[in-house]
Amino acid sequence: MEKRNIIETKGVTIQFNGLVAVNGVDFSMMEGEAVGIIGSNGAGKTTFFNLLTGMFPPTSGAVFYDGNDITQVPPHKRVMMGMVRTFQLVSVFDSLTVVDNLILSVTRSREQQRPKGSFFFADARHPSVLKTCEEALATMGIEDKANFMTSVLSYGDKRKLEIAVALSLKPRILLLDEPFAGLGDFEIEEVSSIIRRVKENFSFIIIEHKISRIVDLVQRLSVMHEGRLIAEGVPAEVLRNPLVREVYWGKEEGLACSV
Amino acid sequence: MSIQSSNGLKSFRDILFIAAGFLVIMPVLGINRTTDFIIFSIFVMGFNILYGFMGRLSFGHMLYLGCGAYGMTLFTEHVSRNPFLAVIAGICAGVLVGAILGPIVVRTTGACFALINLAFNQIGYFLAVVAFSKYTGGEDGMSVSFSKFGFIDFSNKPFKFGFVLFCLLLTYYLLRKLTSSPYGVLIKSIKENETRVKFLGYNTFVYKWITFIISTALSAFAGALSMLNYGYVTPSFIDPSRAVEVIFAALIGGAGSLYGSIIGGVIYMAISNYLASYIPRWEMFLGFTLLIVVFRFRTGVWGYVSEKFNGRTKAMPVRTL
Repeated sequence: MEKRNIIETKGVTIQFNGLVAVNGVDFSMMEGEAVGIIGSNGAGKTTFFNLLTGMFPPTSGAVFYDGNDITQVPPHKRVMMGMVRTFQLVSVFDSLTVVDNLILSVTRSREQQRPKGSFFFADARHPSVLKTCEEALATMGIEDKANFMTSVLSYGDKRKLEIAVALSLKPRILLLDEPFAGLGDFEIEEVSSIIRRVKENFSFIIIEHKISRIVDLVQRLSVMHEGRLIAEGVPAEVLRNPLVREVYWGKEEGLACSV
Repeated sequence: MSIQSSNGLKSFRDILFIAAGFLVIMPVLGINRTTDFIIFSIFVMGFNILYGFMGRLSFGHMLYLGCGAYGMTLFTEHVSRNPFLAVIAGICAGVLVGAILGPIVVRTTGACFALINLAFNQIGYFLAVVAFSKYTGGEDGMSVSFSKFGFIDFSNKPFKFGFVLFCLLLTYYLLRKLTSSPYGVLIKSIKENETRVKFLGYNTFVYKWITFIISTALSAFAGALSMLNYGYVTPSFIDPSRAVEVIFAALIGGAGSLYGSIIGGVIYMAISNYLASYIPRWEMFLGFTLLIVVFRFRTGVWGYVSEKFNGRTKAMPVRTL
């Protein structure tokens, strides 16, 4: 079976009051691929994610998912198609308990099996839902904190919770926006080993600053700079690209640095 | 690890508790006042589902109460004097207005949401008092009367009290069920971070709209029950300057809690009923009460009590962290 592009963008551009945050990006990835996007602050990585996931529509250009134009499709429908994301600033519901954070995503992903109207009247903490929630927490190793208020969790645990929520939506493609930001070295190792363990089940794109953290997670690397995609390819190749070295490490340092 | 599931037995216990509470205060406050308090509590619950649970503060909720009151009055005047059908007509008026205004109102948040509701309330007030005064009786209002069927007689005070209490318990049960369902989790999540909810695959607009309609319907329900109680509609039932009452009540009781709504409703009504007869400018006292609530009891009376009550069991996992 021929593998096809799960995601493709054609010349997507977005302008905010004259500032061109993403400029004519042509990007594509195959089903099952793992792609890393790197670039300095303000390179447009997160904005590009926002365009992919439908946070706002592009000023021009088009986004394709599985061959269909989804440029005008609202975010919640993209999630239903299997496009799931996490956020740069960890984004969980502090006012709910840890397990309650998973209820919406678990309910969403098993919608077809449930009778109509149960969304409004069934107990949110139905035993079968809770079981799935607990399993999701166990995957991330935070099942012992299920009954805690999310607000008391450490940043790293919140990040794990957010990833658990994303995984429980059963993604076909997972978009991770700087999942390691703000974590300690040990937690980074934990999270990246979890990603490594589950990544066979879906395609994923990961945004990261530090190349060394993702170089063994991804098959392909894309480099963004000032809203443009300046290089693409196998990690080792991309990192040898002189343009990349220049924008990423600066002229002099770039020559001295190695990965 | 055990994760508790909220069960039916618990809500049954709560219902008995509320019913017992009102039966106890009934002889103290008198049956008229208690009936009035119960109706107001339904209104506060309707308001709180929007404010406390979904985080949308409305300054114009009198409009929806008024819709129920006027809807019911006009129904009895022109269609049928059957009190039950009239109450249903009142609720339908609330649902209709919620469904029409919803798509405009729920797009906004914060101050804009509050003020857009106020704006619609002003328009509604004008329509009821001036533009359609021929039908509504304008400033003078109009009386409502109902037909009797056997023991169903709404001029009989104990019957009225019983019916209204039943309505409160029904409302409580319904909201209890709704707020402990995935939908309940959804609206609490919208309160905290709506964008995130969209990225969990939910069309938040639709759910906000539904919540708005539930809120307007319950407010209209309270308005219709007020007509059963008073038998007379006046512009004060749709007066936007009274919208603050329900906000005070929700804050005093505790936003985001059904128990809190009922307690807040009763406390507010008690202050406004009793204090007014001793202190001419009782609103000042209300202002102080609100200040104390805002600074000292952020979670309202019920929030404070339940914190004290559950403090030991609930805070445990936090400390062991």
